Amino acid sequence: MNEEIIWVKFYNNNYYRLLLKLNSLDVTIYDNKKENEYILVKVKYNDYLKIKKYLISYKTEIYAYSGKLKIKEFLKKYQVFTITTIICIILLLILNNMIFKIDIKSNNKNIQNLLIKELKNNGLKSFSMKKNHAQIEKIVNKIVHDNKESIEWLEIKYDGLIMIVNVTEKTIVKEEENYNHCHIIANNDAKILSLNLYRGVALKEVNDYVVKGDIILSGDITFNEEIKDEVCANGEVYGEVWYNVKVTVPLEEDYIKYTGKNRYNFNIKFNDNKYNILKSRLKNKKEQEINLYKFNDFEVNLVKEKEYEIKTKKLTEKEAYDKAIQLATTNVSLKLDKDEQILYKKVLKKEANNSTIYLEVFIITKENIGTRQIVEEEIDNDSRNNP
Amino acid sequence: MKSLHFRNYFKNYLYDLDDFITIYDKHLHVFNYQKLNKLTDTEIILQMLNKEIVVTGNELKIKQMTKQELLITGNILKVEFNYE
Repeated sequence: MNEEIIWVKFYNNNYYRLLLKLNSLDVTIYDNKKENEYILVKVKYNDYLKIKKYLISYKTEIYAYSGKLKIKEFLKKYQVFTITTIICIILLLILNNMIFKIDIKSNNKNIQNLLIKELKNNGLKSFSMKKNHAQIEKIVNKIVHDNKESIEWLEIKYDGLIMIVNVTEKTIVKEEENYNHCHIIANNDAKILSLNLYRGVALKEVNDYVVKGDIILSGDITFNEEIKDEVCANGEVYGEVWYNVKVTVPLEEDYIKYTGKNRYNFNIKFNDNKYNILKSRLKNKKEQEINLYKFNDFEVNLVKEKEYEIKTKKLTEKEAYDKAIQLATTNVSLKLDKDEQILYKKVLKKEANNSTIYLEVFIITKENIGTRQIVEEEIDNDSRNNP
Repeated sequence: MKSLHFRNYFKNYLYDLDDFITIYDKHLHVFNYQKLNKLTDTEIILQMLNKEIVVTGNELKIKQMTKQELLITGNILKVEFNYE
């Protein structure tokens, strides 16, 4: 430390006299500056100690440090700041490497409980330290190996302080081949539009009318009116299905009108509980939240409250009619899959009075009308549906 | 004679007995001085092993100083050697 270089401030005006004195003391001078009221001299720390000892008539002080002394002096000067920074860094490192929550992406309670137990056994639980990639891989392999019957695939990854566990359960799929004898029957009264047979015998043809429960594709292979073999019939049958939809729509409709009054509030959410900071003075309001801070289950939000009034407006007969058609179409559309569609619609009956409009709408759809019916081997008449 | 020369050379190598000065623009470097006899803004007198160096000028200052070396700055007008 004594070899460190420092700047010494001499409260003296006689530059040449001072340098002669320093020369007589064998002080090494690395640099010097003369100012109006003082002289700055760059010397070694041990030379400064010598100066303090022998040049007692000179008023001196350390002006600036360098090297290790500078760091030491800085730490001494900014002690509180330094300690706080060090504590913050340590805390940050700890928090960064800690698991606060384990999020298992599965709806199966048994799998969730199994994984929580397995992870705990391997040292992964809430408020424990994170493991590195190699350790995680080892744990994943171990859990999958120990639970072959229930877990197909497992992935563990970190998202900040949350450990996300993605899991795929092992499901035993009953293959079609397992059924020895089955038919495809109509699930609705319909007219057949298209028929694709993959296995079995087609008992109906395109444009044939079927009623609910009719066998369309049979699993019985017959020859000369004698059953030679039994298979599981397979195929796709699309047909026209008819719906008679009755809709009543009121001629008056409520709607929301914003008054233009806005208020700001704060709320705190913790463990699914919500607490508003300020009391709201708005009667009817819609809230829009902006998240300010989030830590685990704790949230602080800025809430924008917009006041509204519920107004009633009178629909014209045309508007009510369109709305009723829309409602009828939507009701039927909800039952349809992606490859199914509405082919035709027609209003059969329309009645309007002072407050409502009543419609009967006839709708034709194209939809899959085939459903598998499994034929039990012992009891032929007893059958069950397998959607 | 040759052996004496070698002895001096070896002695100098070991103890750095030779002194020299180097003059740059507004700088004067002195190596192996013995003592600083006088120091003012116009004159600096240095005691060497067998001579005295008198540096005359104005605004003379000592920029760096160790036991053996000196770096003088300022407007150097004249350097004199006084052999004893």
